[in-house]
Order: sequence, then structure tokens, then C-alpha cells
Amino acid sequence: MGDGFKIFELVKKVLFTDFVKGLSITLGYNVSRSITHRYPDEEKWIPYRRFRGLHTLNKDEHGRELCVACELCSKACPTQCITVIPMEDDTGRGIADRVAKVWKVDLVRCLFCGYCEDACPTRAVRLGREYELACIDSRCNVRQREELLHPQPTPEAFEGGVVARATFIRKKRSIKVKADLMNTKKRSI
Amino acid sequence: MHGVIIMATVKINGKEITVQDNTLILDAARDAGFEIPTFCYQADLMGIGSCRMCLVEIEGQKKLQPSCITPVLHGMSINTETPTVISARASMLEFLLANHALDCPVCDKGGECELQDMVYKYGPHKGRHAEKKFKFQEKDYALSPVIIKNSNRCVQCQKCVRVCAEVVGANVLGALGRGDHQEETSFFRHFLDCDQDGNCIEVCPVGCFMRLPYRYRTRPWDLKGADTVCPYCGTGCRMVIEHRDGVLIRSKAQLGVGLNSETLCARGRFGCDFASSTERLKTPLIRRGGSLEPASWEEALGYIKEHIPVNIGNKMGGIASPRLTNEELYLFQKLLRDIFGSPNLDSTARWEPEATEGFIKATGMDEGGVSVFDCMESDSVLVIGSHLSDENPVTDYIVRRIKNTRRMSLIIASPREMKLDSSATIKLRHSPGREAAVLDAIALAVNAGKPSPAEGAALKDAKIEDLIASAGVTKGAVEQIAQRLLAANSIAIIAGMEFLRHPEGIPELGLLKEALKSSGKKVLVMPALDRANQRGAWEMGVHPAFGPGYGPVKDKGLGCAGMLEAANRGDLDMMYIAGADVAAMHPDEEFTRKALLKLKLLVVQDIFLSETAKLAHVVLPGSSFAEKEGTFTNQEGRAQIIRKLLPPPGKAKRDLDVIRAVGEVYDPSFGPKMPVLVLDEIRNAAGMYAHVSLAFNNKRNTENKLDNRHALVQGSATSALSVTRFSAATTEPEGRFHLTTGNHLFHSGRFSRRSGTLLGLLSAAVVEISEKDAASLNLKSGDKVKVKGRHYEAILSLKTKKGSKEGVAFIAENYDDVPVNRFFKKGEPAPRVDITKVTY
Repeated sequence: MGDGFKIFELVKKVLFTDFVKGLSITLGYNVSRSITHRYPDEEKWIPYRRFRGLHTLNKDEHGRELCVACELCSKACPTQCITVIPMEDDTGRGIADRVAKVWKVDLVRCLFCGYCEDACPTRAVRLGREYELACIDSRCNVRQREELLHPQPTPEAFEGGVVARATFIRKKRSIKVKADLMNTKKRSI
Repeated sequence: MHGVIIMATVKINGKEITVQDNTLILDAARDAGFEIPTFCYQADLMGIGSCRMCLVEIEGQKKLQPSCITPVLHGMSINTETPTVISARASMLEFLLANHALDCPVCDKGGECELQDMVYKYGPHKGRHAEKKFKFQEKDYALSPVIIKNSNRCVQCQKCVRVCAEVVGANVLGALGRGDHQEETSFFRHFLDCDQDGNCIEVCPVGCFMRLPYRYRTRPWDLKGADTVCPYCGTGCRMVIEHRDGVLIRSKAQLGVGLNSETLCARGRFGCDFASSTERLKTPLIRRGGSLEPASWEEALGYIKEHIPVNIGNKMGGIASPRLTNEELYLFQKLLRDIFGSPNLDSTARWEPEATEGFIKATGMDEGGVSVFDCMESDSVLVIGSHLSDENPVTDYIVRRIKNTRRMSLIIASPREMKLDSSATIKLRHSPGREAAVLDAIALAVNAGKPSPAEGAALKDAKIEDLIASAGVTKGAVEQIAQRLLAANSIAIIAGMEFLRHPEGIPELGLLKEALKSSGKKVLVMPALDRANQRGAWEMGVHPAFGPGYGPVKDKGLGCAGMLEAANRGDLDMMYIAGADVAAMHPDEEFTRKALLKLKLLVVQDIFLSETAKLAHVVLPGSSFAEKEGTFTNQEGRAQIIRKLLPPPGKAKRDLDVIRAVGEVYDPSFGPKMPVLVLDEIRNAAGMYAHVSLAFNNKRNTENKLDNRHALVQGSATSALSVTRFSAATTEPEGRFHLTTGNHLFHSGRFSRRSGTLLGLLSAAVVEISEKDAASLNLKSGDKVKVKGRHYEAILSLKTKKGSKEGVAFIAENYDDVPVNRFFKKGEPAPRVDITKVTY
């Protein structure tokens, strides 16, 4: 430990070197591109396809329900959050004459493990990319078949992993962030 | 038959075992603890060796052999687990799956399918067949109102065909086509008009035959079940009832469990949905201002307390249904006898108490239980007074199955044609209600025209010719029967409910039994009863003339008919009817209604608002068989447990609790509370039940016969029964047809009418006559006809039967739109009716 070191320390103190260093980082962030998603007001993260969000019940290319109400999803479910009650319907609603009378999932119990997808022999149930599940009424935690049959806003074909421009819609009973999939950007993290 | 049993010693997988010669390799291997998969094998069906799953290697034979049809030979060395056998099994399954629809997610059998299990265990997990699958048909088709068929899943095991022919005897299924295009179905896939018992569904290892009422309602793993006993007839079939979310969805039999094994009849298999009916009574009702209004239990019991004084004695009467459990019946008679001090008790609205007492004595029910399998061990079996195929279908299956496998003679005496006739050695068509003359004629023929000492006085003056004429049979037939009986060392008589409808035959039944016994033969008599716990009701002492265990009572009371008459005269003020629908079942409906309306208080405990309940002042909601625990005693005298599956609906209570609650109004210590404790009390009160063991429940046996004699009730030491002679019934002079009644195959009493599925099987009332009569009247099956009696006329659809006695018309007692009891009138001769075609 020599005198030279002491002098160097003194010079640093006089010239506020550390202060300037720290400030330069702060100022650097001030002028660099922000990595914060401006969610929900302006932007929304569109997850990758592998994401496991709200369940969706799919239809085939003819618009017939793929679900045959075999109840394997409810059997595979580790939290018993899926209830399926089958019924017979040969009007062409489903791909077989066995369709679901009731297909409901209790999202509060669900742990989004994706076992139901794995169990599904017809690829009817998929965990989609919807993740805005909060609501103001506990009843909406149970999602019924009719609702799940509606295609989710992000189509299966969409790659994902991007941030989309979004508009925040506030209604009396709900809030919604509507993403514009045509206007997206990759965001490096 | 009584030769030396030859034993054979064989080696299975190196393990040396000794079995009886002629044992199948499959049975021997299973006994030795080796598992061999099968589809087409079933213990009680003829082996056909068609599925090739049970192939085994026998040393010294080049080809694999099907073990289910190959008997063992002394010195054989058999291997069941060699690589050849294992690959043969896998290949077999690969072939089966080549055309199998593989629509497991849709199939109702998925989850309990033998093919699934087998492929999972032995199968190749990928197939090499790239060809397009052969399809029998695109869509499932209904074979009957309860059976739906998908042949694409068939594995050609032909169990359905064999069970239909060999066990059920309906013979309506067969195989269309050959090879892998073979389809087991009805005659060119026509809609079936069969027994609708669904045994083909039960034996089907895959989802080829399916239940229509169960179709796409659930998955097997969602169901919670209870092992219980069928509530319909007296056969006492064990079955499992299953529910999902509180709705009773199906009942099924289990292979090797209970006397029925895998068989049930239409009533048992499809008729249990009444338990989940929306019409069930859910709350007590009290009559207020002319109509029945919902009330609380406190109000209902308060109402009873207000109106029935304790120790009311003779002014009170009680009728309990023979569908209640032994425990409830015991408590019911205790309530009537001890609390109300009334001897007026009965368990049926249909018969005279003297007749039932005589019937019990004549059939030897007080001497302990007689197993139907013991009966079928006899050299000769006589079925008389019972339309077994309709009233006790599963007893009919057991009789047919065993009859077809051993040398014995089966004699059937009945006015109407029945399915079992095809297995009969001799069938006798006698005039209705003439069982007495038939039995006397047989007895005389057995003793070559001279009555034996046992029958001395009764038959002293009888001439066989007169008896034959009165019975409407031929002498040749009676002599043939006598020969068969004389040739037999052991004889079993299955005596049915006709003896109670026409009680003059009862003493004769006893006499024939004694006569055969005195000539050194072993004689067994088994009653064939049509209510699940009829025997239990009598054994619990729900009868005016005897107490629990057929023991004597202090004073004899009135039976149902007597009570109604007393009520009509004004001598009886109050009645407590538990479960029985007296207004609908008692002969002479008008009189019954009048009598019931004269009562000052009528308490009805039921699960539905029955015809009787509609007349009541207080209605107490009880529970169905699926909602309580207890025991039923079947016709053989076998006490079996019923188990609770569901809670009673709404405010309804277990019947035991209802009866106890009524008792506690008067005596707070009235009890016991639990069915088990009541059973303990029964064991003390009725010696017959002292040694009854219920431990056999849930026990499986591979041999497919329930050999649990310790489950049968013992003889009663305190029995004090007597047989009353009834004068021969007369019939009205006019009318072409003698009207008879009984149970329909799809119905049992009135309560099966609450089952939606059974109603679907047969909605319109039917009158049955012989084909010859129909031809002479220019009528055919399906015609609408008018049946006209002296007191009532009704329009029904006609059904003809080929071999029935001429001049006999049969209307089942089960239809509520055509109450057959309106044809009958109290104290008048048996009705005769005319049948004419209705033209619109």
C-alpha cells in the first residue's frame, strides 16, 4: 500500500469519478430504449406457442367440435378442476355422436400443468395464450364450454414471443387489453 | 355318475399339480395361479375356443393349443409363458385390432374394456396393418329399446350369442357372416322383441353391445357403486348399483358373485332408475282441507300422536310392503304389536293370510332355507304354479343352465307358455287355478291310482279321471310325469305364486311332498316368490297368525282383506301402510277405496305418491333400496345385505328411522337405532336367523355357483303353522276366457312403473291369449282388443303365445291404466272375459 494509491484515491474524490460513473449509467438508461412493457395501456406481451394459459376447445376445419367428452382430461387433471358430462348428439355438432353437454374448468383450482392437453385423444383441449384471467366476480373463475369454444384472440398460427400494440378497454364489468397482432415488435430482454 | 374320480397329474410351467381328469387346462392353470388371458371363455357357457387368446404350449405338440377347450391328460407338460405363447397372444391382439374401430374415447366401454386391458398387458403397442379398416356400419344401431350395437368393435367371441341361447334361452342373437366379417347380431339386424335383459351387454368384453339408457352419460371411473341386492323379485340377485352426482345410472351384475353371477333380468338391469325419479316424495304430507300439503316431520308425527292413542289395539291395522328390509319389517311388527297392541298385520294386499300360512307350511319355509342349486342337483325338478320365466327370470336362467349340463328331468306345469318350456322334459298345460287337481292326479299316478297313507283321507274318493278332466290335461302326460318322479331318487318342487292366487292347491302340494317322501325319495321344495323380501316379511312375523320366526302369537289378528272389511264395517279406525299399494293391488278396487276412505286415520309411508297414498291423511316419505342398509331374505331363505349408495332425497328418511320415529312418539326407548342392532335383536327373536352369516357377501367364486349354505336361514323350532283347506274356486259361467293375472316380465307390482326405462320397454297394457284362440277369433298379435268382463272392460293390445292353454287370458297386474283388479269382485267367482277386436 503506497503513497501513490492514496493520491489516486484523493484525485478520484476531488473529481467525483464514482459519482459521474453512477450517473452515467442512470443517464444512459434515461436515453436508451425502455425494456418495460407499457402494459396494459399501450402494449401487451403475446407469449410463445408453448405458453400454457386459458383452455381452449378446438373445432375441426368443418366447424365440428373436436371434443368427444371422453373425460380423459378430467381424469388426468391433478387438481380435479375439469368437469365433463357427455351426451349424445348426432346432428353433426361434434366429430363423433358423443359430445360434451358440460365441459367446465375451475381456473382457481387449475395449475396450468397441461396434462389435459396431453391426455386429449382428439387434440380438442389446448392451453391457449390467454392469461388475463382476473375478473371482479368469482363466478367467472369457472369457464364453460360455450365460452371456451370461441377462438382466442391469438390464433394458433401466430408465432408469439412479441410485444403487440394494445388498447386498454375499461368497461363497467370488465377490463380488457386488446392487442393488435399486425403491429408487433420483437423485444430483446 | 358315482364312479371313482380319476385324477390327472400335469406340469404347468414346471409346477406339478393334480387335478380331476377332464379339467380344462385353463381351469387347471388358473387354479395353480397362472394367468391366461381369454375373451370367449366363460365358466357357465359352452367353450368354443374362438378367440385364441388362451393358446398354450403343450410339450410334444407342435402347435399351440387353446387351453379353454383342451382337457388335461395325465402326464401333460404345459407352458403358458414361453416366448411362442407370448408372441402368439400379441399377434392375436394385433389381428383383433386390425379392424377394431379404436374409438375408445367415444365408446361407453372405455375404461372397463377387456380388450383395452388385454392390449395394455399383452399387446403389441403398434400395429403393422396399414390397410383401411373394415367397417360393418358407420353408425351405431339400436337393437332394442335398451340395447345399442356397434359391430366395428366386435372381437367375435360370441359370448352374447351363447349367453342368449344357453342361459337366457331367448335365442335371438346369432352370427351373420364368417371370419373377421362375422357380426354377432339379431336376425338380419332386426329390432329385437326379446326379454331385454341385457345379458349380452354384460358379457360383451368390448363396447359392441351397449346399454341405451347408459349411453354417453358417464365414464366408468366417475361412478361410485354399492354391492347390493335387486329389489324386484324373490330370486335375490346380487348386483352393483352405481351413481354419478347423486343420480342412479346403472346396475350391473358381477361375474362369479352371487347366485346370479353375471346375469340379471330386464327389471334388475334397467329398472333401478326409479330411485332417482323426480316423482319421489321428498317431504311429509298432511291432509289439510281435502288436499295433501307439505309439512315438517314434527307436524306429521304430532298429527299421528294426536290421532292414534297408545294401545289402541284391535282398532288399528298395519300393512308393510315385502320390499322393506328385514330390519324394518321386524320393527314394524314390533311397533304394531308392542306399541299399538294390535294383532292386525299383513305383508301383502293380494292374498289371504290363511293361504300364505298354508303355503309357508306346505313349501316347508319354516324348515329352513333350500338353495336353488341344491334343487337343481335333484334327478327331477317339477315347476308348478309359477310362470318362472316372467316372475323370476334369473331363477329361470339358473334352471335352464344347469338343466342343459346334466342328466335330469325338468317338468313344467303351467297354463301359459313360458320360455323355460324349451328346456323342459315334459310340459303340462293345465287349466288355470287347477294346480290342486294336477298335483292330486300326479300323486295318484305315482301310487298307481291308490292314495298313499299320507294322502289317505284327502284322496280317498278321488278318481284320477275326474282330476284329469278338471285340470284339463291328458292322462298320458300325467303318467309320464309320474314315471319320471318314480324313476328319480331326489325330487325338487319349485312352487310359485299361483298357489297363493288359487289357495286350494296348497294342501295338495304338502300331500304330494309327503307322498314322495314316504316312498323314500329326497324331496326339496323351494317357493318362487315375486317380491324381494316376501319371505323375510313372513319370517319377521308381519302376518296376523304368527310372529318372528313363525313363532306363535298371543292372539291372531286380521289380514289385509279382513282389515279392509273391518274398516268398511267401521270396526277398524286406523291403518299404517308402509310401502304397500293396497288400493292398486288388492282385488276389487272399488271396495278397497271405499274401505280406506272410511278410516279415521290412514298413515302411508311410501317413496311415491301411490294410489293408496293419495287417500292418506298423513304421508311419510321413505327411502328406496338404494338409500338404506339392511338385509333381504330371498325365496331360498338366503339373507343378503343391501347397501346404501345415496342419501334419501329431500327430507325423506330411511324407512327404519321413520318407523322408529313413529314408535318413539309413544315410547322414547323404541328401537334399536341401527340396522345391525335390529338384526341382532332378530337373531334373538327368530331362531331361524341365529346362525345366519352375512360374511359371504362380496365373496367371489370361480365355479359360478354360490355354495354358501351357511347363508341360508335355519329351520324354526317354534313354528306353529297350520294348513287351511280352501274350497275349490268357481268361475263365472259366461265368457270365453278365464282371466288370470300375475307379473309381467318387465314389471313387478306397481313400483316398477316408476322406472322410465321399464316403461319404455312396454308402455301399453297387453292381454295375452293362445295363438289358437286368436286364430279362431280372427285376431293377431298387436291388434287392439276389447276385454270385457262383468265388472269392467278395457282396451288393450293383444299378444299371442304359441303353446298356451286355450281359453286363458292373461293381464299383468302392473298396468295403472288398466287396473286388472277392477275385473275382480270380492266374494265372487273368478272372472271370465270376452275378447273382441276394436275397429275404429
